[in-house]
Formats: sequence, structure tokens, C-alpha cells
Amino acid sequence: MLRSLSVDSLMPYAGVVLLILGGSFFFPQVLSADYLSQQLQIAAFLGLLATGATIVILLGHIDLSVPWVLTGAAILSTALVGSGNPVLSALAVPAALAFGALIGVINGLGVAILRIPSMVWTLAVNSMLLGLAVLNTGGFNPKGESSPLMIAMASGDLLGLPVSFLIWIALSAALAWFLTRTPFGRYLRSIGFNEKATFLSGVSTPSVVFAAFAIAGMCSALGGVMLAGYANQAYQSMGDPFLLPTIAAVVIGGTSILGGRGGLFGTVGGALFITLLTSILSVMQIDDAWRNIIFGTIILIMLLFQTLRKGAVA
Amino acid sequence: MHFGATRALDGVDFQCNAGEVHAVLGENGAGKSTLMKLIAGVLQPTHGQLRVDGRDVLLNSPRAALNHGLVCMFQELSLVPDLTVRENLLLGSPGAGIGWLSGDSLARAQDVLARIDGAQIRMGARVSDLTLPQRQQVEIAKAIMKRPRLLILDEATSALSASVVERVFGLVREERDNGIAILFISHRFHEIEALADRVSVFRNGRRVETFMKGAYDYKEIINMMVGQKIEELFPAKIPVGSDAEVVLDVRNFSWDGRVRDIDLTVRRGQIVGLGGLDGQGQGAFLMGLFGLLRKAEGTTAIGGASTDINSPKQAKQQEVGLAYIPEDRKTEGLILDQSIRENLALAALGRPDLDAGDGALYASSLEQLALRHGGLDLPVSSLSGGNQQKVVLAKWLALKPRCLLLADPTRGIDVKTKTQIYAMLRQLADQGTAIVLLSTDYEELIQLCDETHVFFDGEIIASLNGDDLTPENIIAAALNVAPESRAAHG
Repeated sequence: MLRSLSVDSLMPYAGVVLLILGGSFFFPQVLSADYLSQQLQIAAFLGLLATGATIVILLGHIDLSVPWVLTGAAILSTALVGSGNPVLSALAVPAALAFGALIGVINGLGVAILRIPSMVWTLAVNSMLLGLAVLNTGGFNPKGESSPLMIAMASGDLLGLPVSFLIWIALSAALAWFLTRTPFGRYLRSIGFNEKATFLSGVSTPSVVFAAFAIAGMCSALGGVMLAGYANQAYQSMGDPFLLPTIAAVVIGGTSILGGRGGLFGTVGGALFITLLTSILSVMQIDDAWRNIIFGTIILIMLLFQTLRKGAVA
Repeated sequence: MHFGATRALDGVDFQCNAGEVHAVLGENGAGKSTLMKLIAGVLQPTHGQLRVDGRDVLLNSPRAALNHGLVCMFQELSLVPDLTVRENLLLGSPGAGIGWLSGDSLARAQDVLARIDGAQIRMGARVSDLTLPQRQQVEIAKAIMKRPRLLILDEATSALSASVVERVFGLVREERDNGIAILFISHRFHEIEALADRVSVFRNGRRVETFMKGAYDYKEIINMMVGQKIEELFPAKIPVGSDAEVVLDVRNFSWDGRVRDIDLTVRRGQIVGLGGLDGQGQGAFLMGLFGLLRKAEGTTAIGGASTDINSPKQAKQQEVGLAYIPEDRKTEGLILDQSIRENLALAALGRPDLDAGDGALYASSLEQLALRHGGLDLPVSSLSGGNQQKVVLAKWLALKPRCLLLADPTRGIDVKTKTQIYAMLRQLADQGTAIVLLSTDYEELIQLCDETHVFFDGEIIASLNGDDLTPENIIAAALNVAPESRAAHG
């Protein structure tokens, strides 16, 4: 665990503090408990996706099927609840998670067995899921609603903290433990650095790849379920705005896009940072164009900072 | 010039005159390749100066070296597999890029090819469709068509048959007589005997001596190369009776037409060597034993129990007990970015009967191999090549394998580490571990191995032991020629 507390993974937290201090200078309400609690709630959606993405990126791969796994899970769960059948309704969340795991296994199949670059394979899977969703709903917004459980997961409060935030942190902590304390975690990083050497050390690398993509799929699905709970509905393309911020959160959190190096602690900070940055930029009521330019610039500065620091070390 | 902690070349003065073939001898890691890379502009010296025709030159790229007429044919083949022979020949030739290509140089290349028995190589053939010897012929033609003033041949003929080698030598002699300087690197003594005018011996990054050919005999040159008598490097062999217990027994191993009908027996206390030119099937055979090849046929029995191995994970389990030290430690044996400790544990992790986190698993082999390190939590890339290989060995020895497969484990490693590895292998063999050693170093196959099988074209063409284990016999078998015809060169 100590290893993941590198300077890189602490950077986004420093960024978060700066954003809050700087933001409060212009908008004192940034420091209010309500605002901060709302940010934690929103950050959880991005954070859950980024948690799954971290695992796949540590492996040295990438999962571009996040948007439509998320949307698919949301459509599936709201449709099950909308059926009105109490049994199906109760199955909504587990079914959505199983759906995410299934897509993850399909992703793993393409990457580990067919050996197609994950960037291409998961993009194709994403596209097919989009098609399936449109076929299924006829292109209209899907019918259905969220169950009380989904709403509670997304919008509930527990001990003064948003439930979504607690779920996210609990999941991150559990996975972080899993990554540092089990052979699976060791294999994951080793494959990220050098798959061939790991395989030759007698590791069944395909099963690690399968497991990693399945976990990532379930994280995306959980994010979808909770977003559906938040909006009390599913809608087409609800996942599309999340893909790039998800990857940005992982990389800002200090995880190397090349695999092997990094961890979930940094990703939590990365997700908080990006959520807060988006929020403060929108509060500032400036032109949309400028908001995007500033967003991009700040992310570039964060990454440049990391790269330059590494250059100084090496 | 130095890499990391070890100096690759240290205060070397070296001269090559026009109109001579200058052979450079030395063990792997002696600094030969570094010197060649300096001359070819691939590396720049950290200290010192290169002069061409008495003038200081700065060779900061291969292009700059080419402009001074310094052409290198490296042992790693430099052809682009997906391009045709013609395209490869024209790559980087004068006028290529922007501008018209000159047809003359291509005609010259064709002429060279014809003279070295490569006339049947079509200009339009894709390089990936050529055989290894054909590629080497194209490499030679490509080097000579650049009209070099200094031509470096680095293991340039390693894949060629004896008759083609003879033609290449004829061509090289002719170029020499035209006033070209030739630097010749080869591990085959008879080639140096046949071609060189002068010889320089390198050891540990220093030039030991330069002398006219014939000034010293074979034994003396070897002693110069290793700095001590060969016999002292290797542990004494202990004769093994033909009734000794069989540890590894392989029958009728075949794979994809590239490895055919291999039978191999390793008895308790034996080290069995696999020799031959590169790519004759010996490497694939080792990989196949470790479960890395799909659709390999044949039976493998370890300690009398027949096993069916389809993956490294299966191979390393206790009931099978195989370990494989891969050829390339940097990309296959180790994860360079991870710590020494993490690398050590990676093989033991998947064994339910072992606690990979327990340092005691590795302590004894690390101690015996005398691993020099600044802390087990440092990245393994901070170690020198020899120490890295010790980590690979310790990682697998922690599993107490019953059979150890090694693919050229001492390549590019200093003499001291080699000696330690040899001693360790011998000790393991005596303790009952079956050891199969693939090597490109004849001395290992002769001095360390009790029996050596030489591969040619996917088959074992000769199995040598006892007094038959001589350099001449191994070379002759590797080239698939009768020993008598080579005797004159030996």
C-alpha cells in the first residue's frame, strides 16, 4: 500500500486542495458542506468507472467499452424494475453487474485469446453494444424506472456522507487491498510491465486478463446502475461523456498508461480532481469554449508536471 | 565508454589499416560489439577520439559513419522483413530518399550476390520469404554495394554453409587487395585462421594484444581471451555410469516440421548440451519441453513418470518440476521495472506448496551465486547483466526443479559470473537435477557438458561425448559436413 502513495498519486489531492482554496476565493459557497458533499456524490460515478479503468490500464490495456457497458447496464436495470414484477425488480442490480462481467469476459476473450489490441477490440464491442441498445429500444429513450435501492445507492446519505461516495471508497479500498495483497495483483502489474516474462514465469496470463476485464466491466455496470438511480431513468448515450474523463482521472492519478505502474489511491484523487474542476469551471459561468480550453490546459499541465518530474529522476 | 555500472570499453587504443583483414577476438561482453558500434556511429564514446585517415571525426549517427565510408554489417540482421530484396538494398544507399536512385549500385549488389552463390535470390522476393542464409547473403551484398573504405563483418557468415563462406572470403580478400580495411568478428577459429591478417584480442573492455596471425596458437589465444586457462573455468566432470537413474526422458519429440523426432535422455548427475547454429530447432525443442509450443508431439517423462505439459504454469508445478531459463533475460526472464524481490517471487507465486514471500527460498542460491546488489527492493534493471542472470536462476531454483532447461544462460556475461554459474549447474546435477543446456559457446558444450547433441535442420545430427567432444566435431556437425574435411582448419 505504501508503494502506491507515490508523489504522482498525491498530486491530484494537492490539485483538489488548490481548486477548493482557489475556488472559494471567488465563490465562498465552494467551502460549504452541501457543495462539497454534492461533489463527493458526483465524483463517485466517475470514480467507479475510473476504478475499473485503473485495473485494465495497470494490465497494460485499455477498455473503451465503458460508455455502452454503462448505458447497457442502466437500460437493463431500469427495464427490469419497470416490468413491475417484484422478482425481476429485485434482480435488477445483480443482473446489471452480471451483464458488465459478461461484456468484460468478451473483452478478455478478444484481448487474451484472439490477441487483438484492446484499443480496437473494446471499441468494436462498444459500438456493437450501442447497436444492440438502439435495436432494443428502437432509438427512443428506453422505458423503465429505477428501484428504491438504485436511488438510495445514488442519492442516499449515510452518516452525513453520500452513499454513492461510500460505495465508491469501499470498493476502491477492497480492490486496492486485493491488488497489493494477492498474487492476482502482482500478476496484474507484472503483465503490465512485461507479459512475456510473466507468462514464462508460469503464470496463466489469460485468466488474469479475463478477471481484470470482468472487474472493469462490473465497475462500469455499477456506475451505470447508480447513474440510472441518480437520474431515475436510463437514456441513450448516457455514458458517452464519461469515457475520456475516466481515462484522464486514471492517468492524473499517477497510473502509467503503459501499464504496470500506479494504483487506485491516485485514481480516487484523480476522479475528485476532475469532478471538482468541471464543477468549478461551470460555476464560473464563462463561455463553453473557454471552459473546454481551460479544462484541457489544466489536465495537460498536470501531466506535464508528472512527465517532467520523471525526467528529472531518470 | 561505459554502460551503467560496468565499463564496456576502457581506455582502448585500436587501429585498423587499409588493405588488411583485422580480426577482433574476445568473449561475449569483452567489448567487441561496443567498439564496432562506436565505429559505426551507433554509440558515441564518453572519452576518447576516433580518427579516419588521421583526422578527428565525430560519428554521431550511422549516417555520419557511412559518409566516412565506415560500413557495418551487424550480426543482428538489419533487413526489413516486409520489403523486397531490391527495396532493402536501396534503403539508405546514396541517393535514396528524395532524388533519383542510381541503378549502378543495384547492379553491383546483384553482381556481389551472384559471386557469393546468391544468384537465385530474386530482387522482387520479400525478405521474410528468404531463408536465414539467403538473408545473410543479401546483407553482405548490401554492405559491399555501399563501397565502404572500412567494412565491419560482425558474425557475418554465421548461418552460411562452408562452401558459401569460402566464396564470401574470396570476395573479402579481393576487397582487401583493393585497399579496403576489413574488421572481422567471428567466434569460429578456423574462419579467423583462413581470413585474418592481424588479430586483436579483447577482454573485459580492454585490448589485450594485437599480433600477426600465426604468432600464437589456438590455446594461447583462448587463454588471452579468458585471462586464465580454460580448464580452470569449468568444474571437473564426474563420470556417470550408464546405469545411473534416468531423470528426464524425451521420446519422438516433433513440432511443426521444424523439430523432428528428438530423443533425449538425461541421467542423474549429467549435464546435457544442445548445440548447433542458431535456429536449427534446439531452441524450439527446449521451449516445447516447457509447454510453450502448441501441437508438439512426443512423450516426456520426468523421474519415470510420464507428463503432458501444455503451459509454463503446468510445467512449474511440483509434480512436474520443470524450470526454463529463457534466452533473453531482459525481455523474457525478468521484469526490469520491478524490484529484485518481486522478480524473485514471480515463479514461486503460483506454487501452492511454496510461500513466495519467504526470503529463505532464495537466500541459499543468491548466496552461492554471490549476487551483488544494493538492496532487494531496487529495480532489477539496476543490476549488471551477470547479476540479472543470477536473479533469473535464483527465481527458478527456489522451486527446486527436477529438471532445469537453460537457453544460452551465459550469453553476454562476464567470466567470473560464468564460472559461478558453471559451478552451480554442476552441483545441481550432482544433487540429481537433470540439466539441459543450450549453448552457442563451444567451450561450454565441451568442458561443462557430459554429452552434447548437435542440431541441424530440426534434427539431432550428432551426439558427442567423451573424447569425441571436440571443437572440430561440434563445428563439423553444426555445419553438417564430415569432420575430416574440416580437420585442416581445426
